[in-house]
Amino acid sequence: MSSDPDKLVAKADKLTKLTLTRWSADWRNATLNYEQAANAYRVAKKYEKAKDAFEKASKGQEMLTSPWDAAKHMESAAALAKELGNWNDVADLYRRASELYVECGRAQPASDALGKAARAVEDHLPDVAVQLYTDACSLLEEDDKDQMAFDLYRALTAVHIKLEKYTDAAAALLRLGLAADKCNASNSQFKAYLSAIIVYLYANDVKAAEKCYNDCSQIPAFLGSDQGRCGSRLISAYSEGNVEEIKRVAQSSTITHLDHAVSSFTLLFLPRLLAECSFLPSADKCTIASPHSDGLV
Amino acid sequence: MSVIDILTRVDAICNKYDKYDVEKQKNLNVSGDDAFARGYAAIDAEIEAALEKAELASKEKSKASTVALNAELRRTKAKLLDEVPKLQRLAIKKIKGLSTEDLAARNDLVLALPDRIQAIPDGAAAAAKQPGGWGPSASHTEIKFDSDGRFDDEYFQESEQSNQFRQEYETRKRRQDQGLEMISEGLDTLKNMAHDMNEELDRQVPLADEIDSKVDKAASDLKNTNVRLKHTVTQLRSSRNFCIDIVLLIIILGIAAYLYNVLKK
Repeated sequence: MSSDPDKLVAKADKLTKLTLTRWSADWRNATLNYEQAANAYRVAKKYEKAKDAFEKASKGQEMLTSPWDAAKHMESAAALAKELGNWNDVADLYRRASELYVECGRAQPASDALGKAARAVEDHLPDVAVQLYTDACSLLEEDDKDQMAFDLYRALTAVHIKLEKYTDAAAALLRLGLAADKCNASNSQFKAYLSAIIVYLYANDVKAAEKCYNDCSQIPAFLGSDQGRCGSRLISAYSEGNVEEIKRVAQSSTITHLDHAVSSFTLLFLPRLLAECSFLPSADKCTIASPHSDGLV
Repeated sequence: MSVIDILTRVDAICNKYDKYDVEKQKNLNVSGDDAFARGYAAIDAEIEAALEKAELASKEKSKASTVALNAELRRTKAKLLDEVPKLQRLAIKKIKGLSTEDLAARNDLVLALPDRIQAIPDGAAAAAKQPGGWGPSASHTEIKFDSDGRFDDEYFQESEQSNQFRQEYETRKRRQDQGLEMISEGLDTLKNMAHDMNEELDRQVPLADEIDSKVDKAASDLKNTNVRLKHTVTQLRSSRNFCIDIVLLIIILGIAAYLYNVLKK
């Protein structure tokens, strides 16, 4: 068997093409050849050719009804496409790979594939990344594997924040809270709620922040938790325009333990607040539900 | 005769011959100028006598004498109670050379008198009256301080020592607060990390279970395969087959040698 990848590819192509002498394609050998060729190309750093070879190998495996191997090849192809910088290709290939994984009945690798795709393209095609993340999360939720979805939600929030779409970011955080609730991960849940409140405040939407706080307070555990108290202090300080209080709350350990993307907000809070302090009506009516136990702060 | 007996006898003798004690008379006379003191002393002496009589009465065996003594006691008590208001009026009067403290004390003594008189047991239920006496006496009493009421400026003056002490206390308290704050921050971080670890472990549990079942399946598959392989190998390479192979080989070699010999000729 010649180790020259071009020859291998040519041979494999011949095996798969149907001619007069060949009535059925010999996928097994062809796939073997394609795989070898692809590996050789990768070593030789000929990424374009390697990617093509992998795609063909994947098709071969599909024909051999082994979706798992097919998916694996697709992923390799997509990784190479990432090296090349064909972001659309990357997205498509990873999507195809995830579909194949779903065919195998394995949701976890499927969502992993989508997650990798999203991470790869988030810098260049953020909207596509958002879509990929959302699909990945829904895949996991369908399979009752909410725990794994946390990281994806967090990444999704970071993307939204970068795009400055604060309502979307807050919505993503609330979905994180919901997923955490299903798994009884109360700490993550409360941190998600607090982050959502902070995001609303950062968008200068005090009403939404209050509404969010009141909604979250329906869960009694949240009211009495560190995060709940922090949230109420933040909202009251914000509506009073009390810079000192905001500074103090922002430096408290509860906020610093939140996600980096969100906790860095509170550092940015201050300059914005100082600029807008004069415009804030000081007699803003705050309809915060009173916390049950407020003496532990 | 024991010591106690001696002491009581000495006391009794002293009491008897007190009137011959010049010193004591002089002291009494000093307070003799004071009408209140005289009156109070007189009533006091009478109360003591009445108490003695009451004790006698309680020890009396015959009922008649008890009744007589009790009646006399009651007469004495009534007389004393009559004299108390007079004494009260005297007590309120301010005397030259008397401190306010003493005046208040006198008032108290006078107020206590009726109680003492009533307390003399005369066969009647005297105990019930006692609690009633709380009300009026309480309204006139004041809280007494040991320092005799000398609350002038000097008393509250800050001294050097107390200032220093206060400062030291403040610094130490501040340092403690700082330390506690640092500890609290550290604990917060620990709490956060512990929570995250908890959630991570919760996440890993189902994965570990899956791994467990998969590995079990793989192990059983492997065992099966091993058994079958062993079967096949023993079948293939059983010693019986081996011997047959060797015998046949020898036969073939023999035939070949025979043919070779035949052909050579």
